[in-house]
Amino acid sequence: MTAFFEALLANPAVILTVGAFVIFFLPRHLACAWCLLVTAFSAIKLYTLGLGEYGALHVFGEQLTTVRVDPLSRIFAVVFHIAIVLNVIYAWGQRDKAQNFAMLAYPAACLGGVLAGDLITLFFWWEMAAITSVFLVWAPGTRVTYLAGMRYLAIQILSGVLLLGGVALTYRETGSFAFDMMGLRDADGAVKISALVMFLAFGIKSAFPLLHNWVQDAYPKSTLTGAIILSIFTTKLAVYSLARAFPGTNELIYIGVVMTLFPIFFALIENDLRKVLCYSINNQVGFMVCAIGLGTINGAAGYAFGNIIFEGLLFMALGAAMHRTGTSKATELGGLYKTMPVTMALCIVGALSISAFPGTLGFVTKGLIIDGAGEAHLFWVWLGLLFASAGVLEHAGIKIPYFTFFAHDSGQRPKDAPLPMMIAMGIAAALCLGLGIYPDPLYALLPDQAAIADYHPYTAYHLIEQLQLLLWAVLAFAILILVKWYPAEVPSTNLDTDWFYRVPGRALMSWAAGASRATWIALWGIFSGRVQALMARVYSVHGPEGEMARSWPIGFMALWTAILLALVLVISFIA
Amino acid sequence: MSDQHEHHSGEEGWADKKSFRNAFLGVLVVASILAAVAGFVPAWRKEHPHFPAEEFGVFFAVWGFAAFMFIVLAGQHLRKLVGRKEDYYEERE
Repeated sequence: MTAFFEALLANPAVILTVGAFVIFFLPRHLACAWCLLVTAFSAIKLYTLGLGEYGALHVFGEQLTTVRVDPLSRIFAVVFHIAIVLNVIYAWGQRDKAQNFAMLAYPAACLGGVLAGDLITLFFWWEMAAITSVFLVWAPGTRVTYLAGMRYLAIQILSGVLLLGGVALTYRETGSFAFDMMGLRDADGAVKISALVMFLAFGIKSAFPLLHNWVQDAYPKSTLTGAIILSIFTTKLAVYSLARAFPGTNELIYIGVVMTLFPIFFALIENDLRKVLCYSINNQVGFMVCAIGLGTINGAAGYAFGNIIFEGLLFMALGAAMHRTGTSKATELGGLYKTMPVTMALCIVGALSISAFPGTLGFVTKGLIIDGAGEAHLFWVWLGLLFASAGVLEHAGIKIPYFTFFAHDSGQRPKDAPLPMMIAMGIAAALCLGLGIYPDPLYALLPDQAAIADYHPYTAYHLIEQLQLLLWAVLAFAILILVKWYPAEVPSTNLDTDWFYRVPGRALMSWAAGASRATWIALWGIFSGRVQALMARVYSVHGPEGEMARSWPIGFMALWTAILLALVLVISFIA
Repeated sequence: MSDQHEHHSGEEGWADKKSFRNAFLGVLVVASILAAVAGFVPAWRKEHPHFPAEEFGVFFAVWGFAAFMFIVLAGQHLRKLVGRKEDYYEERE
């Protein structure tokens, strides 16, 4: 029992989880300050632990390592703490206890998953992340968000069930719960079923193509702060898991490239700018997945770190506009730069960073991935990633700030963002620029120090390559605007893969429910009819009026006795 | 969630002014040309390019421009295929 509590106390994720439950007993106005305090405790715990394995537990004869801090898990753990702090500051003054609880408990679960040294611990936190995050989807409390939350939960739980299946199969194959490099294929090149199941579990959470649409379905329906928190953690936990278990897996290269490409087109035609950013998550995670496939773990981890900051900044800026105007629709926004200049400027920093302009966090991290594709001599992959980079510029670099703050004048003149939001966005923007100009502190956190030692982002070639790509893409945008070929935003719903389970899938379920009800009624009718007929027959024989219940007169009995005796005599005589 | 605020339309801000737009466009064109020209400076070329395309001085400019044009001009037709009324799902759920 002592070992159990020691294991709990060694885990920063447990500190955050306990802190989250305490929120229910605190006065509402203290919740955010408490969240900051608990996050500070967790960060100190992480720092004092240092690299190593902690929190060993023996369960059913197997040793579990509940905390593993190594260079790969450390960079994710560090950026998760930064993200929690930014979220808490952004949501300062938020009084909703359920959201405040989820604001700590959900990142805690993802942190626990990142620090998990074995598959059982990973599974526990994986499911905790699903359960705690759904409160953020449900937070607005409408029927639409309830249904979206249920769909989200079903998909997340499916991922958890697959993970559990993968864990069981892996244990049967290897006799171990170790969460390490497993690879998709065995020594003979055949796909391992256990690894494939696990791969799918990670794939659902990292939103692989065709499995991606839970992001666009659930995240934009959450609250302002909820959408920001959701956008950060789940997919990055999945990216970490892929980087841990499947580095250098060839299939991931192509899955990643497809992930970077297809969301670009959906983002182009999407009117809801929060949904545009959700497509951007798919696209950005695609870069990380591709990097994992290429074996460029520095690229995946570094870009995950950067993306959490600059994508979060874009979500925050859009959230601030939404807070002031009540909408995130491009058709209803525009012209806000006149009264929200600070938010606009901070949003542009995020946009420049996600587009990977030199001097920003995006530039010093994305280059690791593009260079990785070049060094692998995969021309089409490299070309695809460059194409996707132009796409990022289009939907995240230009569309978000342009339609929110410029474009047509919506006539709205709201105040600039509230101070806590500005502080959070300011810190994020400072990180985007600070680490973009001086990336050494970030590079020191990257898992493969030998590889990063040879990488220099600010070479003349890198700068020219990136500036050519981006400036000429911006020029294309300017021309399209001038000749009025850039498509106008249209209020619409764009179908995506969720259509399959929301329309035909729902119809099929309704039909199946109706058919099973009709079948049951018919079977019950047949059964109860037969039983009633049998009971009627029994009643007719044994009931008060039945043959067997009739009273027999003595004379009748004497007559029958005489007949039977006569029959016996006749038979005896004949015999 | 939205605060009370006034509605004004037609007021010209600094980004709406023609002078700003022209200046922005001018800076963009000059910067784009400079970036393209820089691609031909031998001292700034990549020593060991991974692909022959990288040896072409304006490859990234051409690819960035073409990619952006393609994404916008081809991508907008996707709306015809997948675009539906805004309340499409509300009617069905």
